[in-house]
Amino acid sequence: MQQYILRRVLLNLLVIYFVATLVFLLLRIDTDYVVTQRAGQTSVAASGSSEDATEQAKKLVREDLGLDKPLLKQYWIYLGDLAQGDLGESFQAKDDVMTEIGNRLGPSLELGLLQIMVALVIAVPIGIISAIRQDSIVDYVLRFVSIAFLGIPVFVLAVFVLRGSAIWLNYTPPLTTYKDLFPFPPFETGRGVDVWMNLQIMFMPAIVGGLGTGAIIMRFLRSQMLEVMRQDYVRTAWAKGLRERVIIMRHSLKNAMIPVLTVVGLLLGTIVSGNVILETIFNVPGIGLWVVNAIGTLDYPVVQGVVLVVAVTLVFVNLMVDIAYAWLDPRIRYG
Amino acid sequence: MQAEDQQAQPAAIAAPREWTLPKRPSVAANIWKFTRRKPLGAFGMLIVIAMLAMTLGTPKAEFGTPDLPSRPLGFELGKPWLARFDAEAIFRDVDTGRIARYNEPSTTHWLGTDKGGRDTYSRMVFAARRSLFIGLWALMFATVIGTAVGVVSAYFRGWFDTIVQRIMDSFQAFPALLILILLVSLRPPSLTILAFGLGFVGVTSVQRIVRGVVLSTREQPFVEAARVIGATDLRTMVFHILPNIMAPIIVVFSIGLGAVILAEAALAFIAPQRVPQDPSWGIMLQQTRDAIPPFPPFAPFTILKGTPQGYHTLAAGGAIALAVLGFNLAGDALRDVLDPRLRVG
Repeated sequence: MQQYILRRVLLNLLVIYFVATLVFLLLRIDTDYVVTQRAGQTSVAASGSSEDATEQAKKLVREDLGLDKPLLKQYWIYLGDLAQGDLGESFQAKDDVMTEIGNRLGPSLELGLLQIMVALVIAVPIGIISAIRQDSIVDYVLRFVSIAFLGIPVFVLAVFVLRGSAIWLNYTPPLTTYKDLFPFPPFETGRGVDVWMNLQIMFMPAIVGGLGTGAIIMRFLRSQMLEVMRQDYVRTAWAKGLRERVIIMRHSLKNAMIPVLTVVGLLLGTIVSGNVILETIFNVPGIGLWVVNAIGTLDYPVVQGVVLVVAVTLVFVNLMVDIAYAWLDPRIRYG
Repeated sequence: MQAEDQQAQPAAIAAPREWTLPKRPSVAANIWKFTRRKPLGAFGMLIVIAMLAMTLGTPKAEFGTPDLPSRPLGFELGKPWLARFDAEAIFRDVDTGRIARYNEPSTTHWLGTDKGGRDTYSRMVFAARRSLFIGLWALMFATVIGTAVGVVSAYFRGWFDTIVQRIMDSFQAFPALLILILLVSLRPPSLTILAFGLGFVGVTSVQRIVRGVVLSTREQPFVEAARVIGATDLRTMVFHILPNIMAPIIVVFSIGLGAVILAEAALAFIAPQRVPQDPSWGIMLQQTRDAIPPFPPFAPFTILKGTPQGYHTLAAGGAIALAVLGFNLAGDALRDVLDPRLRVG
C-alpha cells in the first residue's frame, strides 16, 4: 500500500510537470497577439507620436511577461518561480496571484462540496427507489426526470432559475465580495462568517449544479444496485428472513456505493468546470468568477495561475479518490 | 437475368434447389423496429435530423479551403432554407420606425425579435449550423488523433504505453472549460481554432476508450494469425485491428458530439466577447441573462408573457437543451444496438 501511494505520488509529480510545461507552451503560441491585445489596455505616458506610444506599451508588456528573454531562459525562470510557489502578480490590480487564489478558494470549495452534497442527497434515495421498484411507473418517471436533467445544460437551468425567482418571487441573491462571504482566516478579520448571507448566495447554484450531477450519480447507482441485488449473498439475506430495510441499506447499498464513489471522484473535474459557469451566473465571488473577469481584461498571469492551481488540485484529488477506493474495497489490487 | 445465367451453366451441375430465403427486412421496417425497441433513441435521432435539416442551404459554386463558419465543407452555404430572414437583418416598427426590440412572437417573427431587432427564429436556425459543424470538426479531430494514440499505445504496451498514458493523464488534469477559456483568449476569435481546441480536449477520453478496446482485441486469434503470416505492425493495426473497433468509435463519436456542442455553447455563454459574433445559442442566451425587468407582476407563466426576453431565453436555452439531449439519447441507443458492453463516460 505504502509503495503504491509513493509510486502514484511520484507519477503525479511528473504529470504536474507536464501540465506546467503545457501551460507555458500554450501561452507562447502567438505572443504577438497577446502583447498587442494587452498593450491596447496599457496606458503609457509617452512623449512623441502615437506609434511610439504603441511600441513603448508593447515593450512594457513584453518585459512584464518576461517575453524579451530567450525561450529556454523564460522556461527556466518559469519553472523556478513555480517551484517556489510564485505565480507572478496580476496585471490589473498588481496583486500576488497565489494569495488572491487562496482568498477566493473558500467560496469555490464550498460551492463544490455543497454541490456534491445536494447531488448525493437527491441521487441516493431516488436511485434506491428506482432500483427496488424496477420497471414500475415510479421507476419510469424518475428515470425520465433524470434523463431530462442530464440533457439540460447547467447554464440554461441556471438562467431559468435566476429569471424565474426574480420574476415570480421578486428575489435575487445578494451581491457580495469574497471578503464578506468567506473571511479567511475568519479570526483575523474578527467578523466571522455571515452564515445566512453565505447560504443565500450558495443555495441556488448548489441546487442547480447538484441536479445535473445528481442525475448522473442516480443513473449509475441504479444500475449498480440492480447488479448487487441479484447476487447470491443478497438472496441468502432474503432467505434468512431479514427485513427489507436491512437488506437494502446494509447488504446492497454498502456494496453498490463503492463504484459510485469513484464516479463522484471522476465528476470532480466536471464540477470544477461547472463551477466556473455557476459562479459567473450567480455572482459567487470564487475562483471561477475571478478567472472569467480576468479573461475580459486579458490578465494572463491570473488565467495561467488559476489553470495551474486547479489542475494540480484535480490531480491530487484523483489520487485521493483512488486511495480511498482501494481502502474501501480491499479486493482491489494495487497495480 | 438470373434465370438466363442459370440456364447458361453446363448441364452437368444439377439445377440448384429452390431456396426461399427469408425476405430481408426493408429499411422502413428496420426503422420501425428501432423505434419500437428504443423510443427515446428514436426521439433523439429525430432531433438530430431536425438539426441537420436546419443547416441545409443552397451551396454556392466556388470551392476553397474549408473554414468555419462560412465554408464548413469547402463551399459556401447560403441562407438556411428553414430560416425566414437573414441573421443580421434588422427589423423596424412599421408605425414608429424604431428598431423592433424584443417583440412578442407574431406571424412574421415566430419567436419574436432580439435586443437588436433581429428575428430570433432565424438566428436560432443559423446558430444550428455553427453548433453542428463545430461539433463535427472537433469530433473528427478528436476521433482521428484519439484513435491513433489509443491504438498505438495499446498495441505496443510496455514503457511506451506508460509514457503516453501519463502524458494523457496530464491533459486530463486540465479542467476542460478553463483550458478552452485560456486558448480562446490567446488567439484572435476564430471558430476553426475553437473547434480544434474542443477536439484537443476530447482526445483523452476518446483514446482512453479506444485503448481499452484494443487491449482486449489485440489478444484475439486473428491478430495473432496476422502476426504469424508476417504482417508488419502498421498493417496489423490498420487492416486488422482498426476495422474491428469501428463500433465503439462510432458510439464515442455520437456521444461526444453532444458534449462538444454543450461545451461550445457554454464557452460562448461565459466569454461571449472572446468568440466570433455570428449567431450562436450560447451568445443568444447570454444576451438575455441580465435583461430581467425590474418589478414584474406575480402571475404564472410571466416568464414568457410579461417579459418578451423570455421568448428569446426560451428559444436559445431550449435549442441547446434539446440538441444536447437529442445527441445523448441517440448516442445511448446507438451504443445499446452496436456494442452493449461498452461503457462511455
